[in-house]
Amino acid sequence: MAQGFLALILHAHLPYVRHPEYEYSLEEKWFFEAITECYMPLLMVFEKLAEERIDFRLTFSLSPTLLAMLEDPLLRERYRQYLQRLQELARLEEERTAGDPDFAPLARLYRHHFDTVADYFNRYNGRLVNAFRKLAEMNYLELITTASTHAYLPLLMLQPESIYAQITNAVQYHQAIFGEMPRGIWLPECAYDHGLEDIISELGLQYFITATHGVLYASPRPKYGVYSPILTKSGVAVFGRDPETSKQVWSSQEGYPGDYDYREFYRDIAYDLPLDYIGPHLHPPGMRSDTGIKYYRITSEGLEYKEPYRPERAREKAALHAGNFMFNREQQVKYLSAVMGRPPIIISPYDTELFGHWWFEGPQWLDFLCRKIAYDQQHLKLITPGEYLDLGYPLQLSNPNPSSWGDKGYHEFWLNGSNDWLYRHLHKAAEEMIALATTYPEAEELQKRALCQASRELMLAQSSDWPFIMTSGTMDNYARSRAENHLIRFRSLARQINEGTIDPAWLSALEQADNIFPHLDYRLYQSFESTVPVELTAGAGML
Amino acid sequence: MDHTEKSYLTRGEALPQYYAEDRLVILPRDPYNIFAYWELSLPTREALKEKVGAEQWPGVTFLLRVCKYTWDSEEVVESYFDLNVNPEHDNWYISVQDADRLYHVELGWKLPQGSFQKILRSNSVRTPRDSLSDLIDEEWQLPDWKAQKLFRRISLYHLSSAELFRRPKKIK
Repeated sequence: MAQGFLALILHAHLPYVRHPEYEYSLEEKWFFEAITECYMPLLMVFEKLAEERIDFRLTFSLSPTLLAMLEDPLLRERYRQYLQRLQELARLEEERTAGDPDFAPLARLYRHHFDTVADYFNRYNGRLVNAFRKLAEMNYLELITTASTHAYLPLLMLQPESIYAQITNAVQYHQAIFGEMPRGIWLPECAYDHGLEDIISELGLQYFITATHGVLYASPRPKYGVYSPILTKSGVAVFGRDPETSKQVWSSQEGYPGDYDYREFYRDIAYDLPLDYIGPHLHPPGMRSDTGIKYYRITSEGLEYKEPYRPERAREKAALHAGNFMFNREQQVKYLSAVMGRPPIIISPYDTELFGHWWFEGPQWLDFLCRKIAYDQQHLKLITPGEYLDLGYPLQLSNPNPSSWGDKGYHEFWLNGSNDWLYRHLHKAAEEMIALATTYPEAEELQKRALCQASRELMLAQSSDWPFIMTSGTMDNYARSRAENHLIRFRSLARQINEGTIDPAWLSALEQADNIFPHLDYRLYQSFESTVPVELTAGAGML
Repeated sequence: MDHTEKSYLTRGEALPQYYAEDRLVILPRDPYNIFAYWELSLPTREALKEKVGAEQWPGVTFLLRVCKYTWDSEEVVESYFDLNVNPEHDNWYISVQDADRLYHVELGWKLPQGSFQKILRSNSVRTPRDSLSDLIDEEWQLPDWKAQKLFRRISLYHLSSAELFRRPKKIK
């Protein structure tokens, strides 16, 4: 029996950035890069581990907006074309660097990488959700959900119906794609406020994850800190993030990803090579933005002096860091299990996009870590939060503390001078949506379509990504106009529904442009006063 | 880039700045800061002006009254303080003294020698805790995950069978 458990949790999310109106969009490129650099490399690592029957467990939170993009035929087709252009560029790079002892092997590495992911993508006919589903069915991955459009829930609590809609639709969408209820939910940005657990519990979800102080500062004081989940009055378990493991991986100074042998993210051939050569392969063509082909290692502090990347050295470092991470966890569980008298669980959640995109060697590090935990020690075992709950330990009753994993630990990153104007409009729109759904409980045909589209526009406006981007200050015009446009579309729809003047051609155009969640049911927004929670019969298991 | 389609979708409209209604909302930002936004509709402003009278009007000051509840209650206001606000402003970050406390805010006015006259009252919010809880009260429970229940909200309109009813849980 292991002395303690480690739960690695990867949260995968991107906002809905589908832009059929443009031939090339920088925002769609975020999504393409994440598929090429993160999701597929990670899936390949997991499949290889599974093939070799290495005992590993990971939890994956897949946001409904990300799933919707992975399942969208237009984006899949555009991704294919994007990848083809990258493959062509990598071949050109092989020719250009031929004979160069530093760069030729690196060009070959990228060509090989792009060809491999292209094969992988085709093997699943572009349906990467099936790769996740397969690994979940084999019990290697526990797949959980998050709010439908990753809304920052604590700042939307005034209209709990809109939170109910965000979560219920997410659970239903998850079921539609994976055929199973998620056991847990990732709170967007780990953001919690009192009362969320009641909605979560009603939907049959068993757990959520908070920042460290979401559990550590819970009341009554949790006896085991973040090393055991607590139980809310409504019967949902809450796991708190372990501070040590997050720092080791996250911190750009003290963390592994800043090691000088690792690949430098900020030095991309897009900026180094002449435009007449590289221009046609950029996205959009002629505009310098990252290709993902990067030939240098971090080398030193600052961006001035860089030496060529040495994949073998980086690989050794990834193995070393995996060993170090494991060693520290072993010490941690030995100590904790002795003082606790029961096996602790260490909760280590990360943004998936860190692995492979920002930290190129991240997937490799995870690969080494899973192998080492399986073979090189006996104190520690990988586990999922769901499996931990199945072990049947009694849990301490306690109320979690409002918090987030953002800067300063509370809500400031999503509520400050750059984005606070937004909440007036989000609250008003949610209130209107609730009134509409309550006024028209039996809508049919055109009216029903308009109500469902209004729900989509509201959800898209609620993405936590827009206020996040406004605070971080890059692409803030895009974020502002996304939030505004969805709210404007929502308002026009609401007016047309109330006045009985729905414009069918315009509605169709909206349905095509903002085509997320085709089965979204607007009645999820009916006021709580006009609805009751009804227990679903045992065995139904589906919302 | 081609914007035609986008402007068709938004019908050339813009987001209004206000919604012609009276509203005061507060949001918790962190243990010691609350964000408030408000709107006073034109009719409300005009009615107020009329009530105060043109002569007295220049002397009116607007205030946010920040009310703190007692530690363990959601009903009893323990203390309050007032902040002057410029009527042209429509939002404010309010510094408060206590983490883990329930607050609500009132928007009101007063004359130099007069008392506070409330116009709007906000929702209540609890500021987050910023330290370990002093409450050391261990109660443990063995959850039975297999027996966990699953609910779906159904419109009262659609309910046919009385046995299906469960009492709605109150959600704050």
